[in-house]
Amino acid sequence: MDGVKETLRVRAVQGLSVTALLLAWEGAARAGWVDPLFVPAPSAVLGAFGRIGRAALAGLGDTLLKTAIAYVLAVVIGVGGGLLLGAVGPLRRAVNPFVIALYGMPKILVLPWIMLSLGFGATPAVVYATIHGAFPILVLVTGAVRDVDRNLVTVARAFGARRGQLYWKVVLPAIVPTVLAGMRLGIVFCLLGVLVVEMFAGVRGMGYVLSSLANGFRAPELFAATALVSAASIVIVLSLDVLNDRLSQWRGEIR
Amino acid sequence: MNKQILLIRAAILVGLLGAWEIAGRLANPLLYVPPSAAVPALGRLLALRSYPDLAQHLLLTLREIVVAYGLAIAAGLGCGFALGFNRLVGRAYGPILAALYAVPAVVWYPSLMLFFGLDAASKIAFGFLLGFFPITLAVLAGIRQVSPQMLVVARAFGADGLMAFRKVTLPAMLFTLVGGLRTGLALTVIGVIVGEILGSKSGMGSLINHAYGLFRTADYIALVVVTLVLIVGSDALAAVVEHRAQRWTE
Amino acid sequence: MSELIVVEGVCKRFVTSSGPVDALRDVSLSVGAGEFCTLIGPSGCGKSTLLGMLGGLVAADAGRVAVDGRPVDAPDPRRVATVFQDPGLFPWRTTLENVEFGLELQGVPSARRRRVATDLLGPLGLRDFAAKYPRELSGGMRQRVAIGRALAIDTPIVLMDEPFGALDEQTRVLMGEWLLDIWRRTRKTVVFVTHSLHEALALSTRVVVMTARPGRIKSVLELPMPYPRAMESAELVALRAKLWSDIRDESLRAMQS
Repeated sequence: MDGVKETLRVRAVQGLSVTALLLAWEGAARAGWVDPLFVPAPSAVLGAFGRIGRAALAGLGDTLLKTAIAYVLAVVIGVGGGLLLGAVGPLRRAVNPFVIALYGMPKILVLPWIMLSLGFGATPAVVYATIHGAFPILVLVTGAVRDVDRNLVTVARAFGARRGQLYWKVVLPAIVPTVLAGMRLGIVFCLLGVLVVEMFAGVRGMGYVLSSLANGFRAPELFAATALVSAASIVIVLSLDVLNDRLSQWRGEIR
Repeated sequence: MNKQILLIRAAILVGLLGAWEIAGRLANPLLYVPPSAAVPALGRLLALRSYPDLAQHLLLTLREIVVAYGLAIAAGLGCGFALGFNRLVGRAYGPILAALYAVPAVVWYPSLMLFFGLDAASKIAFGFLLGFFPITLAVLAGIRQVSPQMLVVARAFGADGLMAFRKVTLPAMLFTLVGGLRTGLALTVIGVIVGEILGSKSGMGSLINHAYGLFRTADYIALVVVTLVLIVGSDALAAVVEHRAQRWTE
Repeated sequence: MSELIVVEGVCKRFVTSSGPVDALRDVSLSVGAGEFCTLIGPSGCGKSTLLGMLGGLVAADAGRVAVDGRPVDAPDPRRVATVFQDPGLFPWRTTLENVEFGLELQGVPSARRRRVATDLLGPLGLRDFAAKYPRELSGGMRQRVAIGRALAIDTPIVLMDEPFGALDEQTRVLMGEWLLDIWRRTRKTVVFVTHSLHEALALSTRVVVMTARPGRIKSVLELPMPYPRAMESAELVALRAKLWSDIRDESLRAMQS
């Protein structure tokens, strides 16, 4: 009973805050307290949805397509590389400082060079986003493979598991939670990578839509487009979370 | 076995540098600047010959980072404690925060540029935005990990309210908190630099853009190196503080 | 009758960060078919290492280990099954799937695997828990699943390394009785490592006492008494005293080193 009451109160607070914010915002815009050039009224933003709807959705589609391609590549490279590094000890220890250094480095510093070598268009966006997304997955999977419960490996060996069986029946299932966590992280990183390239180089897509709207001082349209891409991102991540939960029944933990 | 590892590392380094050198000589020198050309470029940069006002730009970037980080700490700690200590507020706004975290931050940048212009303000705002989240999340995680048992014990000894916070909660969560502060700094730095590269008139990012635009690849590499030193330096500082905190909590 | 398990002059040295450590020195032992042989001794005496050698997980530096006439150089799931102190259940597998694990590795078709595992659940007392995951089971239940996993591959020899070590006293006693029942029904050869005098005396047909590190065989006690053991009987009381005095000296030596 308490739980239901509390949930209701939580929803009430959320609903009221959002409503109050929107009302105050609308009021401030109408009263002229804020410059409509920089802070458009919510009503103006709503109207803008109609105007830029088509272009924004086209741009979003472009961006998401590139993100999907980069994501698949990033997962393959990240999981594959992670398995390799996690399994081969000397290789991992040798390569570790390089990986950490590259991981900690803001990849955007390399972006100009990538643009120089790959030109404009979808290719540098996909390449950059792949690199961006692959690293966290690689680091996570490497750690997970390295940290597989030693007891489980011993048990499998005691029951005569050959090397292939060891990987297929013990290591891979054991790292599934980490792979899922990495995949959730990876999608945000890949999307971010694509957007950055689109903004930096004016490549077709949502990033370009956003930056050109900003350059044109079209505030209501910009807010609308931003809201659109934010909503899309939240939906994608939430879907992955649901998938994650479904696949982790045996863990039974609440994230 | 250690020798084997060092050998592999050396081989990788030599291999990379060698491949770079060869590519620079044989292929497009504009693209593959060989180390033999990059090192003198770095020298020219540090001697302030390629970019005489390097110091100003560097200082500006540093200033942006410091201001953004300060704001991120203030807001991060404030929000974190507000959400952490008040159950209703935490449950109401926590999910909203988590949802916002799922949005790639760069999505907000054009709006920031519209509002703040191309100057330092938009970079500070962006850096703040990136650094704010990990700090808030770290505060929340830190509060959650304080065992209620400890607080019960504290109250049994007559300490509650502010004193309990100072003597029990704060030390218990310090380690997590400092970790979050370190991550926050790293992200703030990235935010400022990304902001500068995506569009600015001054700062290290703008110099990088400038060199790139003019195909001055060697200078570009030198600028990247200097920026990396800035980044690594700031993280090293944060790591030192983190280790100190680790010693206190043990 | 030729012995099923033969260990002759086995030595094992480990290289640790604080220098080389002799775990076993010149250990010789034999176990006949159908026996319940317990290895007992102070901490660090090498009993787990010895068990590991029997299971093919640890290689001897010198001497020989033979099972069923064949030298042991790798785990042999057709002859030897092992149960560890940590049940080591795969958390993503249900009870049934965990019990089937060994059969799966050997390529047994799924219908037969399922049947073998399901049939075992009865004696294991886990019939209602077939679809549960390890996190839903108690410590005692998990260990029963681990034992079931070992029994499923129906090997003549089962090795157990302090399987009840992590359980509380009452559960230990009950599990011991349950294990005895299974052993007597399946007539397997069991090599059992324990710290517990009670377990050694209540369960075994033979008790092997090992010295403190470096481990060798100190004494061997035969226990031909019938089951269930009358622990208060004069025989067992005397044996207990003998066992304790043997172990006590070694435990003191282990503590002092």
